[in-house]
Amino acid sequence: MKPIVSVRNISKLYHVGRLQGERPSLRQAVTSAIKSPFARLNGRSSDDTIWALKDISFDAMPGEVIGIIGRNGAGKSTLLRVLARITKPSGGEIDIYGRLGTLLAIGTGFHPELTGRENIFLNGTILGMKVKEIKRKFDEIVDFSEIERFLETPVKHYSSGMYLRLAFSIAAHFQPEVLLMDEIIAVGDISFQEKCFAKMRAVSREGRTIFLVSHNLDSIQNLCQRVFLLNAGRLCDEEDPQKVISIYVNEKGRFENGLNKS
Amino acid sequence: MPSLKAGIELPDEPLIRIRARRAFDLMNLREIWEHRELLYFLVWRDLKARYKQTILGISWVILQPLLMTLVFTIFLGKLVRVQTGTTPYPLFLYAGLLPWTFFSNAVSSGSYSLLASSQMITKVYLPRLIIPAAAVSVRLSDFLVSSVVLILLMLYYGVHLSWQIMLLPVLGLQITVLALALSALLSALNVKFRDTGTAMPVILQVWMFASPIVYPRSLVPARWEWAYQINPLTGIIEGFRSAFLGLPINRQGLAVSALTTIVLLIISLLVFRRMEDDFADIV
Repeated sequence: MKPIVSVRNISKLYHVGRLQGERPSLRQAVTSAIKSPFARLNGRSSDDTIWALKDISFDAMPGEVIGIIGRNGAGKSTLLRVLARITKPSGGEIDIYGRLGTLLAIGTGFHPELTGRENIFLNGTILGMKVKEIKRKFDEIVDFSEIERFLETPVKHYSSGMYLRLAFSIAAHFQPEVLLMDEIIAVGDISFQEKCFAKMRAVSREGRTIFLVSHNLDSIQNLCQRVFLLNAGRLCDEEDPQKVISIYVNEKGRFENGLNKS
Repeated sequence: MPSLKAGIELPDEPLIRIRARRAFDLMNLREIWEHRELLYFLVWRDLKARYKQTILGISWVILQPLLMTLVFTIFLGKLVRVQTGTTPYPLFLYAGLLPWTFFSNAVSSGSYSLLASSQMITKVYLPRLIIPAAAVSVRLSDFLVSSVVLILLMLYYGVHLSWQIMLLPVLGLQITVLALALSALLSALNVKFRDTGTAMPVILQVWMFASPIVYPRSLVPARWEWAYQINPLTGIIEGFRSAFLGLPINRQGLAVSALTTIVLLIISLLVFRRMEDDFADIV
């Protein structure tokens, strides 16, 4: 079978100064431009860079639910962000044979003053849906999110659960061929989580591919046929998802020690 | 995985190709066109949200240039007595302040647009140029409303509309393109260098007085004419004034400002394209 996502030798280099959120001012840019030849002579430049992803390759098949695990800072979110085209890789190639849906945060672009109905259209178009599509799915979205009584209420008055349900519901009905999700199902209550899991299984049965970043190993085990373990930007992809999870659980201590030393 | 049912058919060619950044990339204009519904909804969101939170609502759009006209009429018209020929000073002023208000509002909200949308930029992919374009479009809708009000006022007071009024759409397009070019450029710079935003009010203030808005061009010394002409707003503002008030058209001025506008647009798009790959990492 042909892969729907083909990733070849993806790398992503970050400059640590930037990672820490330090913003250069115009003056700093000028001074560092003057200083930089000297910094290079001193051989410091390699010290303040980090490979958030290093030489990652894999193929994802239609219908696969792929879990991505790893400790904080291992590169999980960076991998999703590169796949989502939010940030460019420093090297490598990715081909995606379908539409992409990105669910990295709940309610991206939601405006608190606008009503639930208005935000469905707004958030839907931000996620990449066409207005025609949103209109067609509108009732389904409202049903799934269980907010029909509050459709005309500004979302600033929503409880966090309602907010989450609406946001997930919009993204889940977008039906892209590839869906990227970052840790978001961890938020809702148990019954809604169950509903989300069921929805995701249905999505995968239709032949759509899901990438799911999570620290919750139970939900990873529950949903994913394949698990990637990221460690310091490198990918571990074993045939048996159970084996990947146990590597992660067993070697967690060792990773941490290793990182403390460096 | 044999258990998987492939309910979807894959195209032969990938829909999305992700490659490392190249030294020189062109702006993907087709992709921006495909996202036009998003542009519409971003504009709609801002307009809708704005009027839910204000008391005077849409009347601000008309009040802002009107209050400015009042202030300048008192200080420059009455105290300094700026001479504007046969045109009454308030009318002269309003016809210039109307496009200027649009331009300065568009550029100042445009230059902060990317920073204000950092949540969106880091969480979802969209052609980023849409964001400053939406900020400019919001102000453009204000401008259209206030222009219609001016024309209605002129009709009410029996001012004759001349054939020059036909120029308005062209001038409107040109000043929009200029505002978009600067918004794209400044918003991109503002992501990387935060002092860009801090400098904006000063730059706009200077720009206002370096354009024929509150005084006629005839006050500019002849030896500075050439420099004055390079300012793309010079031709545009004079054009608007001629169109509203039926004054003679300065063809050469319009041509020069069209040229500088296009040059600025090309430079801005190139800079924006070059910087946009880094937005999500540094915003």
